[in-house]
Amino acid sequence: MQRFLDPVVLAEISGLDLIARTVVDGFVAGLHRSPDFGFSQEFAEYRAYSPGDDLRHVDWNVFARTERAYLKRYRGETNSLLTVLLDASNSMNYASGKVSKMDYARFTAACLFYLAIHNQRDAAGLIVFDDEVRNYIRPSTRQGQINRLLHGLELAEPRARTDFAKPLDHFRQFLRRRGLVLILSDFYEAPETIIRTIEPLRFHGNEVVLFHVLDPKELRPDLSGPAILFDLETNLRMEVTPEYASNEYPKRIEAHITALRDRARSARMDYCLLVTDRPLDAALRQYLTIRQGRN
Amino acid sequence: MGFLAPWFLIGVAAAALPIYLHLLRRHSTTPHPFSSLMFFEQRTQSSIRHRRLRYLLLLSFRVAVLVLLALAFANPYIKRTVASSGERRMLLVIDNSFSMRAGPRLSDAKREAVSVLNSRHPAEGAQIAALGSELHVLTQPIQDSAVLRAAVDSIEPGDARGSFGELARAVRSIEEAAHAPIELHLFSDMQKTDMPASLAEMALPPHVSLILHPVAKDTLPNWAVESVQAPSQVWDPKKAHVEAVIAGYHTPAASRMASLVVNGKIVDSRKVDVPAGGRATAVFPSLNVPYGWSRCEVRIDSADSLAADDNYLFAVERSDPEPVLFIHESADSRSPLYFGSALASAAEASFTLDSVPVDRASSTVLSKYAFVVLSDVISLPAPFENDLLRYVRGGGSVLIAAGTSAAHRARIPVLDETVIEAHDYSRNGERFATVAETDSSHPSLQSSEGWAGVKFYYAVAVDPSSSRVIARLTDHTPLLLDKKIGEGHSLLFASGLDDLTNDFPVQPVFVPFVRQVARYLSGTEEQKGSRLVDSFLELRTTKEEAVSVEVIDPAGHRPLSLKEAASTQSYQLRSAGFYSVRLANGRQDLVGVNADRRESDLEPIPEDTLTLWGGKGGPDSQHQANLGEHQDQERPRSLWWYAMVVVLVAALGESLLAGRYLVTLAEKP
Repeated sequence: MQRFLDPVVLAEISGLDLIARTVVDGFVAGLHRSPDFGFSQEFAEYRAYSPGDDLRHVDWNVFARTERAYLKRYRGETNSLLTVLLDASNSMNYASGKVSKMDYARFTAACLFYLAIHNQRDAAGLIVFDDEVRNYIRPSTRQGQINRLLHGLELAEPRARTDFAKPLDHFRQFLRRRGLVLILSDFYEAPETIIRTIEPLRFHGNEVVLFHVLDPKELRPDLSGPAILFDLETNLRMEVTPEYASNEYPKRIEAHITALRDRARSARMDYCLLVTDRPLDAALRQYLTIRQGRN
Repeated sequence: MGFLAPWFLIGVAAAALPIYLHLLRRHSTTPHPFSSLMFFEQRTQSSIRHRRLRYLLLLSFRVAVLVLLALAFANPYIKRTVASSGERRMLLVIDNSFSMRAGPRLSDAKREAVSVLNSRHPAEGAQIAALGSELHVLTQPIQDSAVLRAAVDSIEPGDARGSFGELARAVRSIEEAAHAPIELHLFSDMQKTDMPASLAEMALPPHVSLILHPVAKDTLPNWAVESVQAPSQVWDPKKAHVEAVIAGYHTPAASRMASLVVNGKIVDSRKVDVPAGGRATAVFPSLNVPYGWSRCEVRIDSADSLAADDNYLFAVERSDPEPVLFIHESADSRSPLYFGSALASAAEASFTLDSVPVDRASSTVLSKYAFVVLSDVISLPAPFENDLLRYVRGGGSVLIAAGTSAAHRARIPVLDETVIEAHDYSRNGERFATVAETDSSHPSLQSSEGWAGVKFYYAVAVDPSSSRVIARLTDHTPLLLDKKIGEGHSLLFASGLDDLTNDFPVQPVFVPFVRQVARYLSGTEEQKGSRLVDSFLELRTTKEEAVSVEVIDPAGHRPLSLKEAASTQSYQLRSAGFYSVRLANGRQDLVGVNADRRESDLEPIPEDTLTLWGGKGGPDSQHQANLGEHQDQERPRSLWWYAMVVVLVAALGESLLAGRYLVTLAEKP
């Protein structure tokens, strides 16, 4: 089933729902677990009763045997709230192969939505932004939510340029409830600016994960000779030598990634680098890990 | 190495163009989209430095083409050292023109030339040439003194007229071919008449140093027979006379005895008083020569150093007058009178007119006549007309005068032309017509003066399409037509020869017209019994091919080879004397050839003119010439031609390579 996680193969599939289903089912099957695997009813621990605790949680069977009041606690006793922030700026349109970063981000988001709604019974929502909020789908578990989300993803065409600062206020308004916030972006901004802009999302108790989507050629450009490159967002043109592209640029992008990761962790945010020529399971695995950790 | 036009070297900057284009070709690739340039840096300088030139061979060809073109326009040259004593060439020119026959001039010149040869450096090359009307190079540049001296000794006195202009032209050619400085020694009497009209024609190239060796210091007095007017053909010795001009050049007034010599015998003598430095004419009233060609000359008694110009040669041929048949109507007595009188006075009794009425024409034998005249004949007896037509086709000629009788019939006999109409101008308002156009290139109308005054009252018009129109009247009626019939000619005069249809017979132009027509129709064009040295004798016309000619020069030699005798068109008369010539048409001629009498004036060129010609300042010209020679030891040799050849090769290589690359690019998807 691994080949169904390959983004190049997925690019040949037209519908996002089919993609998501294919990926998630394949991914879950690869875990060698039951498809009914869940967290919400799983016993976690006993805790001694203390005054003020809700009596509904006292395990009366234990009290009857031991005459001591213990509280029974379960994992996943509440559903999570998943919100995906999808960067739809022009830079996401870059593709060195068949799959652009935007496609990859869409696939990833679709899979996450599918996994969250169908497997975890989580409420899922979507915010599409570039230099402003272009689309917002409130997190919900209602019937048809998955279709709304996938439709929102399909409408998300790259446009304009990224600006985290401007739509930040809208994010705060939308993300009042605690939950899991996944940001899919190429993060072409200074790491401190990114973190400073996103960090307030953490203050509401959200778990924030930065999915850094990059094309392999963005990590290591391959220029056979001097070339003129133009910026997809600013249309700026620049003459670049292959020597610089092969020597200096990888160092700088690596430094940028490292800085972003370090600053994200120091801000208690998770960071995951997604390269578009790699399978999609990294994002799903990251999501499940965090989801498990929350419970 | 230097450049004659160094400003064109600016064009070398154009070599940057292909380099720029080859770099730009890389630079002008399609811009690649990239998600963000925030981690890139502008590296333009580095880009150019590291940008690699592609198609280096093609680039080098292109750069080479541009650079070499700029070089070619800058006209590069190298200085060749050409003036070392070993490379200097000595050219000894000895004047052997006619004037050098005076006294010991030629022997003095040859002796001085030998002394110059002896005084030269043994390793120095020398070349000998003789100067007449043109420069005759006798040796190549050699160092063998014996051969050079032999060449000098072999120079004989000539009869040509010297030409310093021709000397300068020939030396310029030699200098261009030699690429070496030339030391020109001229041994000459420096005759003034040998100078060209302009001194500029005598200018020598800068690398030629002229050293003059005048062999005559003073102007010698000289008498000469300057010219002779004598007929080349004589029919009646009593009507022929000879006029000779005796000229004295820088001479005192003196009496000279002029003699007419025929075939070596003095037949008449006249005493002539020649004024100081002037001319006098000796007239010999008769020229009694025997039948056939005679070698004649007018001779004066020799009293000067140049005896060769004391006689003037000319050739005279005596023959019987040729009869001309004149056919006319019995009632017409005017036309034979006018035509006969004109023929007798014009052609120096070379023709006799045989006037025959048309009714007695049938009994005549046409073959003995030089030509036939039909004067306004109404009708010809049919046998006679047939004989006449056969006579013309066989090479005879006929002059037809179409008077008023032509209006009575529709066609012109012999000519076989239809009479279109007859113009009677006397009935018109203008009363007469005159000649409007004449073709002076026709032999019968070479002197057309006086034709405009002739009044024509009557003329017939014939179709001129098959004839050559020689003269037209004011209403464009053809007046004189020439039609070739077989081997002969038929000349139609569209009016009468009497003074009724025109006043032509009583006009002065009638006599020369009759003379020219008679000579043209009889085929006896005027011969010249005397010519000048270096003139050309026409041996054949273009039609007379593959017929051998013969020339016997005054020395009795046949200068033409068999091949030349069968093909050559003309022959240059190079020496004075009598030339016996058999032309391609079979005619035997004798020509007396005389030297140009401008050579008889022995006045030398003034000293200041000689100084000017030498251009180096008089007596020390040799010294200055040597100085100039050393200054000009290095002379530029242009290399532009070589540069252009390399440009061509580079352009060819560029084309081939560019074509190959273009094909390669085109095949790429």
